[in-house]
Amino acid sequence: MPQLAILIIVLALLSAALVAVVTLRPGTTATQSGRILVFIVLFLLPLFTLAMGVNAEIERSKSTKFCLSCHIMEPFGQSLKVDDPTYLAASHYQNHRVPKDEACYTCHTNYAMFGTFKAKLAGFRHVYAYYLTTPPAPEALRLREPFNNRECLHCHLGARSFEQGAMHNADAETLPAVKANKLSCVSSGCHETVHNIAHLKEQKLWSEGN
Amino acid sequence: MATKRALESRLKLAGVLLILGLLTESVCLLWGQPIAFVFLIGLGGLFVFAGIAVYLLAIASSPTERDQGSS
Repeated sequence: MPQLAILIIVLALLSAALVAVVTLRPGTTATQSGRILVFIVLFLLPLFTLAMGVNAEIERSKSTKFCLSCHIMEPFGQSLKVDDPTYLAASHYQNHRVPKDEACYTCHTNYAMFGTFKAKLAGFRHVYAYYLTTPPAPEALRLREPFNNRECLHCHLGARSFEQGAMHNADAETLPAVKANKLSCVSSGCHETVHNIAHLKEQKLWSEGN
Repeated sequence: MATKRALESRLKLAGVLLILGLLTESVCLLWGQPIAFVFLIGLGGLFVFAGIAVYLLAIASSPTERDQGSS
């Protein structure tokens, strides 16, 4: 458990104890300083503790471990370890092109305004689907909307391998079309093998120690 | 005297709600499953905001010292 979470738990328990002391003691509001204390303990402290807790949960929800804790996501987690450089997600994960601890979030968030908020809203839909409906088989999972090149360009735009890559510059139209999201990075025949979990069993998996 | 008692009982209610919210938050942070996030926001947040609302209502509806002096 992260140290921040432990700290917030201690803060929440301490706040709860203070709330109990302040509200159970009669006459706390009789004096001016007592009223200020009540305001701090019943208003500022709980709000601050809740904000810290929500922030810690949002940070935790970005972790690879968090995403893979739903068993429907297990094959997607395994696909990060496929020993084949043509697997886009695996090559990003294994070569540290994405932070290992936030591998899913880095590619599947939305790098637009309020992107993290939208990603978390989508996460709530996942939780709803997982707990309250019959979730589809992992192989049947599809993205809600086509993958936007913006998420790739967030890192690759301006990189030499992207800007001067031979295939990207094979003709004059490709690079501008990719940058304008008119030619998809992942579904136009270029980087199409992303997770490809339907063929996971046929693949050799890379073990991190070797 | 009666209004003072009413204020204290409202503060106690606010306190109970806030304690429930803060305890829910602690449990959710300890739990560590994705559903804990939903409980933290849906239940913990609800309790904390309800507690704060009851507290604000209590101080807004309690008579001021000037009111008490004029009556």
